[in-house]
Amino acid sequence: MNQFGFYFDQTRCTGCSACRVACKDWNDIPAGPENWMRITYTEKGKCPDVFVSYLASPCWHCDNPMCAAACPVDAIHKREEDGIVVVDRDRCLGNSACDEKCRKACPYHAPQFGPEPGAKMGKCNLCLDRIQAGKKPICVDACPVRAIDAGPLDSLEKQYGRARTAAGFTYAKRVRPAVVFKPKPTSP
Amino acid sequence: MPQSSASDKNVRIVRATSAFDCGGRCPLRLHVKDNVIVRIEGDDAEEPDQLRTCLRCRAYRQYIHHPERLMYPQKRVGRRGDGQFERISWDEALDTLANQLKRVKKIYGNGAILLMTGGGYLASLHRGGAAAQRLLNMFGGYVTHYGNISSEGAVWASLTQYGSVMVGHSREDMLNSRLILLWGWDPARMISGTNTMYHLIHAKENGARVIAIDPRYHDTAATVADQWVPIRPGTDTAVMAAMANVMIREKLQDQAFLDRYTVGFDRFKSYLLGEEDGVEKTPEWAAGISGVPADIIASLAREYATTRPAALMDCQGPARSAMGEQYNRCAATLCAMTGNVGRPGGSAGGGLMGIPVAHMFRSPGIPAGKNPFELEGPKVKGTLDIRERVIKRIHINTLFDAILKGKKGGYPSDIRMAWSMCNNYLNQTGNSNKAAKALQSLEFFATQELFMTPQARYADILLPVTSTAERSDLMRPWPSGPYFMFSNRALEPLGECKDDLEIATELAAKLDIKDFETHSEEAWLRRLYERSTDLKHHIRDFDRFRQEGIHRIELETPVVAFRKQIEDPENHPFDTPSGKIEIYSQRVADIVDGLCPPIPKYLPTSEDRNDPLSRKYPLQLITPHPRNRVHSEMYKVEWLRETEPHRVWINPVDATPRGIEDGDEVHVFNDRGTIAIIAWVTERIIPGVVSVTEGAWYAPDANGIDRGGCANTLTRDAYSGGGAAVLNTSLVEVMKGKRS
Repeated sequence: MNQFGFYFDQTRCTGCSACRVACKDWNDIPAGPENWMRITYTEKGKCPDVFVSYLASPCWHCDNPMCAAACPVDAIHKREEDGIVVVDRDRCLGNSACDEKCRKACPYHAPQFGPEPGAKMGKCNLCLDRIQAGKKPICVDACPVRAIDAGPLDSLEKQYGRARTAAGFTYAKRVRPAVVFKPKPTSP
Repeated sequence: MPQSSASDKNVRIVRATSAFDCGGRCPLRLHVKDNVIVRIEGDDAEEPDQLRTCLRCRAYRQYIHHPERLMYPQKRVGRRGDGQFERISWDEALDTLANQLKRVKKIYGNGAILLMTGGGYLASLHRGGAAAQRLLNMFGGYVTHYGNISSEGAVWASLTQYGSVMVGHSREDMLNSRLILLWGWDPARMISGTNTMYHLIHAKENGARVIAIDPRYHDTAATVADQWVPIRPGTDTAVMAAMANVMIREKLQDQAFLDRYTVGFDRFKSYLLGEEDGVEKTPEWAAGISGVPADIIASLAREYATTRPAALMDCQGPARSAMGEQYNRCAATLCAMTGNVGRPGGSAGGGLMGIPVAHMFRSPGIPAGKNPFELEGPKVKGTLDIRERVIKRIHINTLFDAILKGKKGGYPSDIRMAWSMCNNYLNQTGNSNKAAKALQSLEFFATQELFMTPQARYADILLPVTSTAERSDLMRPWPSGPYFMFSNRALEPLGECKDDLEIATELAAKLDIKDFETHSEEAWLRRLYERSTDLKHHIRDFDRFRQEGIHRIELETPVVAFRKQIEDPENHPFDTPSGKIEIYSQRVADIVDGLCPPIPKYLPTSEDRNDPLSRKYPLQLITPHPRNRVHSEMYKVEWLRETEPHRVWINPVDATPRGIEDGDEVHVFNDRGTIAIIAWVTERIIPGVVSVTEGAWYAPDANGIDRGGCANTLTRDAYSGGGAAVLNTSLVEVMKGKRS
């Protein structure tokens, strides 16, 4: 399998949310709690010695996806050919019926639900439609500072290195997320 | 929300851009199906030249197709300001407006008609004000406003110092800088030209050291700055003066540059050394004013004077203050003292960003003609005396005071009715509560709008206008590119919306104006292109330009402001009376009882932190640009709202004694008003200062508390000696609020 994944340059990210909005536009997700791309924020220190970092948080398409294991109806599966973890929304029971087991199982809370009872799970699928059309995911093309890339993990590693952690991110060995980082140094 | 698919044969791709009052003009590929934008993609140029849009236009379709868009003409039925309206026909709406224009002209004269127009739509043909100006000029005239809210301090400073507003370098020139001082500049948030933040990141990755001097540790600083120097608002000039003093004391200034290219440095020097007023402008002096430690000021001075080339990037925010132009003037003076003007990797200061690919403020448009109401007024072109400019026009930041006071208050006329488009000045100029009172006092108010904005609520007649997506037009970014845009019409007008030009044309018939030229949009755009020397110079093939939606200008080397003036001064004097950079301006000195000194100076002002009023209102308020809207435009767009809650930044040093915790609802207030807003307790702001982004919509409750959190409920409707809108010089207090 040629595992696909993300690269995230945390030193460039300004936390602007262009990726998050582009994701909602491309994937047609209404405003609300269902965010396939989330931006998490870290602030430390005291004025004037403050450390601030942002972390783009989509789904990391883990080698061992806990969400898939937790799903009571096998609605989530990892694709053979590229390792992209996808959800079959027709099969998904919805948030109220299963109590969002997938979201709770994921160390990164990547599975997302809309606010309405019975909302089906949605999450980043690496813009499979765009990948299949030979394009990058919309978040990659949308980033004004080119802080995100996506593609086969081995080529990302060749291009960007193998750093597995970043500020505000813990590499969960048991799931092996498909991501490499340029982390932001916590002290200059 | 519409579903779409990239392979759907019924989806058309339209090359367009937006016309918001934003510094960027980003290529957009709108996916359109059945007159609905279903998706957005950005520029498809090869890297590294892609011009990438920010989050705002990523949410463009939610703006264009927002359920709250105004779709048909309406008239007020309740009390003015209550927001109760009833649908009417276009005929009734335009008849009402035309009859009011005739009535007011007949009873009071043309000076009683106020035209309010602004930056809500920035492009050539459909710039709403142009058509209205043309119409009203043919109707006998009107009174209007002078100045722009954003940059008037920087404009005055640049005209004084250089005789030009084209003081910018193209952005990739930052790659040549070894040191970049971000002085009140946050391009991660305030889009100062598409890709500006990306270029800044490149400069940083290229080895430039970056220092941010700002009351806030903003996102640009958090991303690229090696050092953050927190500073109190309104004190930038004091710190710059002290830096200049250190340079002089330590003989670090580029004296050869000063001798060759500037006039009046000795006068500035004598001010710095205290020969003029007995106070030497030492780092210790500035430390007491600014909160920046003296040793940091001294090291800033040394580092800036000895690192070549270095770019001091001042902007316009700190200049929107009570002595705002002094900040840009002093920055430009430091650029000269360090010999960085006209040099690659350097900067000229001055706070503007225009590069001479095309004029920053002038673009082709419908010829407006002359305003009969202003014919007897003074010739104001190029004047540095703000008082000349407000004889026949009203300063933009006193617009509502003028409505309330008229001639008795020293304004050009007594205003009885207003006609407004492309602005939300109630929300976007100082003192929104006063603005609301002023709008109540009018006999008639008509507005062209896309949304029921806080200002539109006060209208008697509401005319729904098309969005950029429903028009074709010529556009460019604030810094003049280096590129030009053609935005193609993606949608047929939604609902009953009309464009501003159509409205003016139909009014012309109702007002019996015969020679108000009517052309199709297509014909107008060709005419504007044919008549524009800038466009004709750069673009040979108009049809190709339209098809591609963009014309990019290849630059062999980055644009550097004043390069010719520095390389060949004999043949290229500066456009000032002396032909040199004027650190001392005789033109300013000659203004009798002038409000600005002829050399840049730090001066105390009302509502600075030493004002006795600070005992009652001890915190300084700043009102920076929002990220998730363009000023007050796009405020309703949910995809944007949810990215960032509207909050007041407050340091724990100020929050803790007030019992305020992160996430609490607080009231921020002064004598002008009270806003209710959520507190963000953060170390990212200097103690003693709070920050509320401008543009949130004014929404007073029954008790007069602005639940919308509009920053201008708290700001002053005043202008500085150079004409800057005083929106970052306000004292406030914050207390824990109660939900009502």
